[in-house]
Amino acid sequence: MTVALDVVPDHARPWSELAAPTHPCVVDTTHATGAAFGFTNIPMAVWIDENGVLVRPAEAASIERSPLRDMDVPEGLPENLTAMFRAVKEIPDDAEAYRAALLDWIDKGDKSAFALSPDEVVERSQPRSSDEARAAANFELGDHLRRLHGDDAAIPFWREAHRLHPLNLTYKRQAWTLVTTAPGATENDLMQGPNEVYESNLLDDVLGHGGFGAFIVRPEL
Amino acid sequence: MILDSLTVPVSEFARNTGWEPKPEGLCRGEVCVPAPGALDGDHVNVRVAAERLGMPLVDSPEHGVYALGPATLGGRALDTAVAADPELMNYDGSRFSLSSLRGKKVVLVAWSSY
Repeated sequence: MTVALDVVPDHARPWSELAAPTHPCVVDTTHATGAAFGFTNIPMAVWIDENGVLVRPAEAASIERSPLRDMDVPEGLPENLTAMFRAVKEIPDDAEAYRAALLDWIDKGDKSAFALSPDEVVERSQPRSSDEARAAANFELGDHLRRLHGDDAAIPFWREAHRLHPLNLTYKRQAWTLVTTAPGATENDLMQGPNEVYESNLLDDVLGHGGFGAFIVRPEL
Repeated sequence: MILDSLTVPVSEFARNTGWEPKPEGLCRGEVCVPAPGALDGDHVNVRVAAERLGMPLVDSPEHGVYALGPATLGGRALDTAVAADPELMNYDGSRFSLSSLRGKKVVLVAWSSY
């Protein structure tokens, strides 16, 4: 199943309709799965067995290599696009191994070497300090107030969530895109550039952390 | 969990946090935490329960509302491998329950439009 971590369902809807999936395709309008499973970026996934028990914790979940990885950076792009393109090309790629592991589990179930025991799942789940849990509460409260009182009401709480959990890219990108997408635009602004509301922005944040890799939870296969 | 009061019915607390009162304390999956003072009849004293479970409580005094964050008992995102049942929504606005897929293998993939 696919879950869109989008506080505005209509932002995710066109993509879902275009894909016309045959699997359950739903929206997580409060990023509750982040708190519940430890998602901090996308795409990430958990595997759940027939009894409702996790056999893999939250980890990066690409199943095919992005064609962007093998493209040359086009010449003549604006400087920020060139830098973003280069950063994307350097994202760690575990797609082939992850796909093979997933197919193995589908075939063999709990006999698969990639299906972890409950204790291993807990041990390998994302760290959660009190700061990170507090970040989740701040994100949720900000989102709640945004719905009741408008986007500005979320800002102080989302700023605090960013400060408390700097490697949580879903909190950041969700907030940035709401302030950098032009009113009336039919698609979200994916560059999420400098803005007057939040301290950072996508490109500066990624480069400041040494690349997208800092935000990727690579699968331990 | 969003709250406008720090005393909530047990059923509401359990539904939103996954932690249910049992004789051993507050329990989720196979994990139980002694929680003296957290229960008052059929209500939960959220401040006490939050302290016992290591859940942060954030408030907005201006709006009279609180958010209760996830537990931090073991310092990991998961306290148990029993899958939570977070609130999810179909595109028509109806609720989708992850537990409705019990009996099938589930790969739950998070994505976003941004």
